[in-house]
Amino acid sequence: MGPSLRQQLIRHARFTEAIRAFFRARGYAEVDTPALAPHLIPEPAIEVFQTEYLPARGSPRTMWLIPSPELWMKRLLAGGAGDIYQICKSFRNCDYGGPHHNPEFRLLEWYSVGAGYLDSIGVTEDLFSHLLARTVPGRPAAELSPPFVRITMQEAFLRYAGIDLARCQDPQAMKAAGREKGISMPDAPTWEEAFHIAFLTLVEPRLPRGKPLVLLDYPALVPTTARRRPGTPWSERWELYVDGVEIANCYTEETDPGELGSFVRREEERRRGSRTSHASDPEFADLFPPGFPACSGAALGVDRLEMVFAGEESLEGVILFPFSAILGGQSGRHA
Amino acid sequence: MIKASDIAKGTFILINNQPHVCVEREYVNPGKGSAFVRLKLKNIKTGSVLRQTNKVQDNLEDVSVEYKEVQFLYADSESYAFMDTKTYEQFTIPIEGEEEKRDFLKDGENYQVVFWEQTPIDIKLPTKMVFTVSEAEKAERGDTVSGATKVITCETGLKVKVPLFIKQGDRILVNTETREYQERVNN
Repeated sequence: MGPSLRQQLIRHARFTEAIRAFFRARGYAEVDTPALAPHLIPEPAIEVFQTEYLPARGSPRTMWLIPSPELWMKRLLAGGAGDIYQICKSFRNCDYGGPHHNPEFRLLEWYSVGAGYLDSIGVTEDLFSHLLARTVPGRPAAELSPPFVRITMQEAFLRYAGIDLARCQDPQAMKAAGREKGISMPDAPTWEEAFHIAFLTLVEPRLPRGKPLVLLDYPALVPTTARRRPGTPWSERWELYVDGVEIANCYTEETDPGELGSFVRREEERRRGSRTSHASDPEFADLFPPGFPACSGAALGVDRLEMVFAGEESLEGVILFPFSAILGGQSGRHA
Repeated sequence: MIKASDIAKGTFILINNQPHVCVEREYVNPGKGSAFVRLKLKNIKTGSVLRQTNKVQDNLEDVSVEYKEVQFLYADSESYAFMDTKTYEQFTIPIEGEEEKRDFLKDGENYQVVFWEQTPIDIKLPTKMVFTVSEAEKAERGDTVSGATKVITCETGLKVKVPLFIKQGDRILVNTETREYQERVNN
């Protein structure tokens, strides 16, 4: 027998409260930013939800449901907000299903001023310790407790695929390395496609489980707003995996307007492949005036985190009204 | 052609001119990348397993297959024997790689079998099937813990975890994908 609805609601509320208590105690200010936006992060790989604002006068205006609160939070940082966090609903469209995806999900995003990406690993480890102490996990605490296993992307490719990623700096080399290891590659992939196909086929399924794992130093060729580590092909970025599921993504934020401008231009080129081509913020690069604070930002999927803490294998174990049930005409598992 | 995003467990596709059946499909959307489908495919002729990752919008070559209604006759150590219910023609399918299906094949029961170029390549099981309990221990008296279960055996040898009130001779509905008990069926 599973927990009763009431028990489940209480467990769910305590989990969220514990996250808030953790950040409050560390001096982060909780912020609340809009879910509707006229522009989005320039990341065309993300498929989004489009809607329309109908003003009393004048023409309708296209609006978007945010895929993450990043843009709003960076505006606050530029304004001198200091350390901030929030837990908010975020939306991603074109969902192909599976146990770890729901088009509407809760994102915990936090920014630590004056910090780098490695500092944020420490914050996340402390958050896990705090949650283990304040909630009742549905699995052995040792499987979630710090220290996290740390492995760089270069080490992971060498160890699990036998590929020297540092030497695969153009699409042809990346494609050839994958084919040499016997995997199917398209004839003319972009670098990012060839990298992800090799990563998803050869590396990710073999990442060690049993402890939370931080995969760090992503190739700078995957376009993001993470700062490049000077003189290397790597960016200061990590992702956290638990049970092979991506839980969080973190950067040392790039603050150089020139670098951000070239990121926007690269992403505009990729926009062609997107089904829901959205409006990027034309002022995105201008968000970072001289004096934008050096900081590290992390985004963590709260529903997924609650799922792994509860020892569930699917988000349906922690979401009251899973999207598939809503679409299926049922009003939820509990109705 | 079939879009990678439309491939599901059980879909047949052609890879290097070899027919494969999809045995696992997972949609993955790396934080900062395009959307991909990670597939585990089984070569129908050789049984070898292939893992590959495709972009969701990739087109793959699909296999045109034919479904036939057949009756299960018997299994020997190497193969399952069936009879086409229209032509009464008999044929066999090797057990290797399909061992798990043995528990769901009832003598004289009709099933769907998939044919590719006149060769039978896959047995399709209904999602839910009724079985008769052939062996079941009696529940201990006073064991009233709610949710307690025991393991029973069905006429095909299938073992299922069921609630304590199920007894020998009962008919039960079983999910053939999860091997889980669904409910007792009234005669």
